[in-house]
Amino acid sequence: MVRNLPFILFFIFFTLSCDTDEGQNQGYEPTPVNIAVPAIFSQLLPAPEIPANNPLTEEGVALGRALFFEKKLSADNTLSCAGCHKPNEGFSDQRRYSVGIDGIPGFRNSMPLINIAWNTKNKFNWDGSASSLQEQVLEPVVNEIEMHNTWPNVVATLENDATYLTKFEQAFGSPTISKELAAKALSQFIRTLVSGNSKFDNYLLNQATLTPLEQQGLAVFLDENRGDCFHCHGSPSNPLWTDNDFHNNGLDENFTDLGLGDITGDPAQFGLFKSPSLRNLAFTAPYMHDGRFQTLDQVINHYSEGLVFSPTIDPLMKTVAQGGVQLTLQDKAALKAFLLSLSDPSLANNPGYQNPN
Amino acid sequence: MLKPPIFLLLLLTSFVGCNTTDDSPQKALVSINFSHSFNQQTLNSNNFNALQYTNAFGTTLSFSKLRYLISEISFTNQQGIKTLVKDYQLVDLGEDTGLFIDDILLPEGTYLLSMRFGFTEITNTSNVYPDLNAASWNVPEMLGGGYHYMQMEGRFLDLNNEEFIYAYHTISAVQNPGPENTREDTSIALNLGEITISQDQTQINVTMDIDQWFENPNLWDLNTLNGMLMGNYTAQKMMQENGQTVFSLDTSMGN
Repeated sequence: MVRNLPFILFFIFFTLSCDTDEGQNQGYEPTPVNIAVPAIFSQLLPAPEIPANNPLTEEGVALGRALFFEKKLSADNTLSCAGCHKPNEGFSDQRRYSVGIDGIPGFRNSMPLINIAWNTKNKFNWDGSASSLQEQVLEPVVNEIEMHNTWPNVVATLENDATYLTKFEQAFGSPTISKELAAKALSQFIRTLVSGNSKFDNYLLNQATLTPLEQQGLAVFLDENRGDCFHCHGSPSNPLWTDNDFHNNGLDENFTDLGLGDITGDPAQFGLFKSPSLRNLAFTAPYMHDGRFQTLDQVINHYSEGLVFSPTIDPLMKTVAQGGVQLTLQDKAALKAFLLSLSDPSLANNPGYQNPN
Repeated sequence: MLKPPIFLLLLLTSFVGCNTTDDSPQKALVSINFSHSFNQQTLNSNNFNALQYTNAFGTTLSFSKLRYLISEISFTNQQGIKTLVKDYQLVDLGEDTGLFIDDILLPEGTYLLSMRFGFTEITNTSNVYPDLNAASWNVPEMLGGGYHYMQMEGRFLDLNNEEFIYAYHTISAVQNPGPENTREDTSIALNLGEITISQDQTQINVTMDIDQWFENPNLWDLNTLNGMLMGNYTAQKMMQENGQTVFSLDTSMGN
């Protein structure tokens, strides 16, 4: 017996050191599934980043999808994630500010939720306040303006629904429901929200033709002396159409919203907000972190003539002294046409993204 | 069937019994550290955005971004055999990423350390590096295509003592920006000198003396050259000339 003691100790240590999310059935394995990576992404981008402790599974994604559209996440059962991140609005919200369950509007425009699996910087929200997707999805539930609920209450509510007991068991091997597992499932579903089927994507794959106006717009976009958009918003080589970084793009001389600086406390980051992807602009108006621009024309006019200097203005706003890049009317029309070619009409109708409840 | 302890003993004996006569030198695990200074002052992400540096022109400036690409990181031994340890590395001082190249296993001995600032004309091919594409490191085709060599950005005090911005971006120099452009390789071969690798000498420090970008041989006036530099052939050639003395091997290495 004593001779076997090291083996027994090793066995106990090995067993204890395993990842044992509470109550999980160790023998159960949900079905692995991969993100549907668009062809142009496969050509140009690294594989999406999936956390090792939360691999995508068919059952996990299905649970996450059910939770994404579940109004029971809110305190009065009236608001789901999809209430402010609507599939037919580019997983954003065409209202300037989304309205929470108490009728109170927020103070920033809803960020589109697409191609999150390629956000290698792992900073989420306009202000970078979440450092992981799992952290991000927890917050709206308890936000007093948004769902105004508590996670213990959400868990209790879901535990009273036999469907969810089954779905959690299928996804994680146990009917035990927790906010951590809910966050994992929501993250799995959100990582499957992929947009890569725009006219411009198909142009890059030699399956579509740009109009002369769209081609002129691409040239404006890539011209350092005209649009100079590519440093922050990607390019045909970076089809995410964002750098996933934070910038002050010359909106205000004085800030009412400190953005990233509000999170870090660093004055050098006051007024910096995350660059959104330029995909699906046809569906995601209004624009900017505070939804101040109703139209794409207003956005282009801002960069052309509306830039203002402030102490944290991004050095890439090179023409701020002139108020902007001073585009001609023709350049503006061309740039708008090109930007709209980045919209992906198939996103709204993807059967995997519809309400399953 | 043999009992496990006997089996293990036999296995061990078979390894020990092998002819292990090997005259090759011991190997050492080496790392390269990229550090940054301005006029002997250390620059790191903690002192970004501080208007506390003065260049040779007399301009006070700060830094908010410093990313650059190093390629062809190689050690050449005394027999002239070159070992490529990494194809390329994107260093991002603001994000504190790419500052180290770890786990380089080399036989002890004396080497010449070489690398390149940027890509050569052959390796500077559009779209072939997915990680660099995702990092928005590309150069548009109308500006020659391929990838940036460096993005250095920040603020400076202009002639009226007011804050203004600069974006000092280096790429392959390009003439006639547009569809008919011609590109010229302005990457910089960095022959950093001799280094002896041993068990006691395993960390190599390569320093970027940032002040040199503004000084030698071309005195750089940020009041006139602060932006739109990518398509400025003359500016790119000046940057390449200034870059010749920017990188050095820090001989105060240790383990």
